[in-house]
Amino acid sequence: MSTKIPDHELALDHITVRFGGLTALDDVSLRVPAGRIVGVIGPNGAGKTTLFNVICGFVTPTAGEITLDGRAWRPRPHHLNRLGIARTLQGVGQFSGLTVLENVQVGIRNRHSRQPSERGWRESRHSGQPSERGEQGDWHSGEPSERGGQEGRHSGQPSEQGEHEGRHSGQPSRRGWRGGREKRSEQDALDALERCGAAEYAYEHPGALPYAIRKRIELARALASRPRILMLDEPAGGLDADEIQWLAGLIRDTDTTVLLVEHHMDLVMAVCDEILVLDFGKPIALGPPVEISANEKVTEAYLGAVA
Amino acid sequence: MTGVLQKSPTRSGQTLARRRRRVPPLVPIILGALLVLALTYVLPPFRNYQLATVGAYFTVTAGLTVLTGLNGQLSLGHGALMATGAYTFALAQNRWLSMPLSVLAAILTTTLAGVVIGLAAARLRGPYLAGLTLAVAVVVPSVTSTFDETFNSDMGLSVALDPPPGVVPMEQWQAWLCWAGALVTAFLLATLVRGRFGRDLRAVRDDETAARLAGVHVARTQVIAFVVSAACAGLAGVLFAFLAQSVSPGAFPLTLSLFLVMAIVIGGLGRLVGALLGAVLLVALPALAQTASERSGSQHLEGNLALVIFGVVLVVVMLAAPGGLASIHTNFRRKR
Ligand SMILES: Nc1ncnc2c1ncn2[C@@H]1O[C@H](COP(=O)(O)OP(=O)(O)O)[C@@H](O)[C@H]1O
Ligand SMILES: [Mg+2]
Repeated sequence: MSTKIPDHELALDHITVRFGGLTALDDVSLRVPAGRIVGVIGPNGAGKTTLFNVICGFVTPTAGEITLDGRAWRPRPHHLNRLGIARTLQGVGQFSGLTVLENVQVGIRNRHSRQPSERGWRESRHSGQPSERGEQGDWHSGEPSERGGQEGRHSGQPSEQGEHEGRHSGQPSRRGWRGGREKRSEQDALDALERCGAAEYAYEHPGALPYAIRKRIELARALASRPRILMLDEPAGGLDADEIQWLAGLIRDTDTTVLLVEHHMDLVMAVCDEILVLDFGKPIALGPPVEISANEKVTEAYLGAVA
Repeated sequence: MTGVLQKSPTRSGQTLARRRRRVPPLVPIILGALLVLALTYVLPPFRNYQLATVGAYFTVTAGLTVLTGLNGQLSLGHGALMATGAYTFALAQNRWLSMPLSVLAAILTTTLAGVVIGLAAARLRGPYLAGLTLAVAVVVPSVTSTFDETFNSDMGLSVALDPPPGVVPMEQWQAWLCWAGALVTAFLLATLVRGRFGRDLRAVRDDETAARLAGVHVARTQVIAFVVSAACAGLAGVLFAFLAQSVSPGAFPLTLSLFLVMAIVIGGLGRLVGALLGAVLLVALPALAQTASERSGSQHLEGNLALVIFGVVLVVVMLAAPGGLASIHTNFRRKR
């Protein structure tokens, strides 16, 4: 099954970002293989968030290339959801006028009426490689092809389509297709909240909730879109030791590719398969946790600075 | 991970209890239609005319509250959009004398204006957006004096209208048509903002970056919101032209745009009920100002007095119920 999967889902090649005179990223290359958990660490101002912004299309690199599934790719923020890339923001980026449930529902677009089982979804996705190619035709056209979530229908992912229809006709949907869609998205959002331990706040507004809960909501919104690549920018900020433990478990169990920016070294060391260390925008080390923690340059630049 | 699907009965019971009931928009609309219909048979002609005016105002405040309240775009130009609709209606009506055709032409023209302004608006934020829409509010009326052969300058145009059917009195007929327009608009808006699109509107209002990352096309959402609310303003303009049986630049001054914004804020931003309450105030408060200035014998006072009264009401309501009049009911329920 895995023969057709490209070696790296996402790759950055010699990315350089300059803001005026400041070089925020200096010739950074990174390969993110499918299903791996890759950490990005470095002192404050090292360029970690900028790296995420490059992948999300918020920042256009001064030089360098990005490839997705082996093809040159120009990211656009509002295309990410459709491409199965979800990102949480450093701090919290929540919609204060929406209930927690609605906050999560925003991340659920048309294409996501799939089986709740993560594993099943991932497998069907991989076996459905040819149709993904079809989708890519769309992704790489570069220009905004705003057919908003209709790809599923066009590119025809037979097995999933079947599942979907089956589920749909299985439920007596009294409110027509639109009501049915709302119901499904509501259920998916509740599932994601439950998974992140925040279901009890579903009908409250996020503004009044403690920071740690809001972090969980943020995570739930990212997960609810059933991403294949999950990008987490300091998800452990403001969480206590137990919660970080829980977060580690969640990240390991997601079964998606994960890009993790984090300050808590314990968390990074515990969950990551590979770690990129940035210092003033320069990549100073790249390797598995054991190598990184033994690396002198890293200790000097980062661990030493923090301790 | 398997726990995701299994929910304890208590949990789902709880969430069901706390879930806000969704009333299908058709129910309040039908009730409203019946109420208005009944009222038009018992009210005296002048009150029927006022009722009709409330309907016309509701048509524009409903659209404006979706734009400003739900999507966070402030428009000071909706009075001018109403003028666009009104003038198109007048010109079309005087040429063809076919209501459906003229209404359609008016809505289309205003929608087009909405696309143009909306595209520019989607690139602007805060004070710049307010400035753009303000410019629209100033420029559109002055167009009427520039092309005075078509628009007859400050004198305006009279609107040719068919008489009401049968023996229906004019005012009652006006109330029917205005409320038909208002309720259809309200129904369409309520349906539009009920599901995902409404969520997207509010998500864009609250945090554009997060919305974008969640897959919302921010600019498109903003343009659609502007266009929809412009179309509503266009229809409201038609209704005003229909009510006055004439159009003139004086009927759509800058203060009208300001009043509209104040009305939806006082009524409760982002809520159709708030837009309705605002529409009622838009008729009631100027009437109050008129009575007051007639007593004092100063014609000059009237226009300014209305503005003063509106300002005072705005301040008082904002202090007492920051969510607007529509929020008072919910606050009360919550406290019980
Ligand atoms: N949009 C921007 N314009 C100018 N400078 C920026 C911008 N974004 C980030 N920077 C600068 O780039 C550097 C890296 O920032 P950032 O990526 O946020 O660091 P980190 O997330 O690793 O703490 C910082 O010096 C920051 O001030
Ligand atoms: Mg950062």
